[in-house]
Amino acid sequence: MLTIEGGGERPVVLSGRLDATQAAAVQAYLDRLDGVVTLDCGELQYLSSAGLGVLLKTHKRLLGAGGRLRLTAVNRHLRDIFSYSGFDQILEIEPDGR
Amino acid sequence: MSERACFARRIDAIADIFAFTASAFARLGAPDALRTEVDFVLEELFTNIVKYGRGEAPVTIDIVPISDGVEVTVTEADADRFDVTRAPAVDVTLPAERRQPGGLGLHLVGRLADSVQYGYSEGERCSRIVFRKTSAAPAPGRDNGDGRC
Repeated sequence: MLTIEGGGERPVVLSGRLDATQAAAVQAYLDRLDGVVTLDCGELQYLSSAGLGVLLKTHKRLLGAGGRLRLTAVNRHLRDIFSYSGFDQILEIEPDGR
Repeated sequence: MSERACFARRIDAIADIFAFTASAFARLGAPDALRTEVDFVLEELFTNIVKYGRGEAPVTIDIVPISDGVEVTVTEADADRFDVTRAPAVDVTLPAERRQPGGLGLHLVGRLADSVQYGYSEGERCSRIVFRKTSAAPAPGRDNGDGRC
């Protein structure tokens, strides 16, 4: 189960689990956004490689137009995934303060 | 004591797999803190089978408790040989401009599981992947042992 909302002037809030069954819907949502896009991951409990693919595709598209993707409130599971995949070197990531 | 379930080769079966791991962990008394990583490894292995496997038989998942964790076996009948422990290396140091989506799943399986073994039976055309996840030290990477069918 995953919900996504926000965008434009507000952060995009992802809640739930971003797995292979949800990737296409999240990609379609993010494809509509431009500029510097902030993803609030405070309620994102799970991210698989399908989700990494969505983030990479979105970040590359935004970079090409002078924007970027930044992630906030990233929990331990997500930090591990970003670290092991090297995404912590290509995305701006702000850890969960909790 | 163990838990077993079979899943159709469809991506939307992932939700059923997650429900199975939740109930299995509860019944087995396995550490719930490990479940996210176990779900991750299972999703990557299962989606790999759905994407690239040519068979139609359901995929069987067994979970047994071990000291401080679980041992999970993914059995694919009617399978071609594909050793997941020998997947091509991924360069995770590339900048975003040179990255392409995909290819990270099995790399991450090797990082998140304590050990991964692959076995294949030519006669039965059966592939078996056995991985362990415990609350011991961080995952050291892959174990290219023999997870014979």
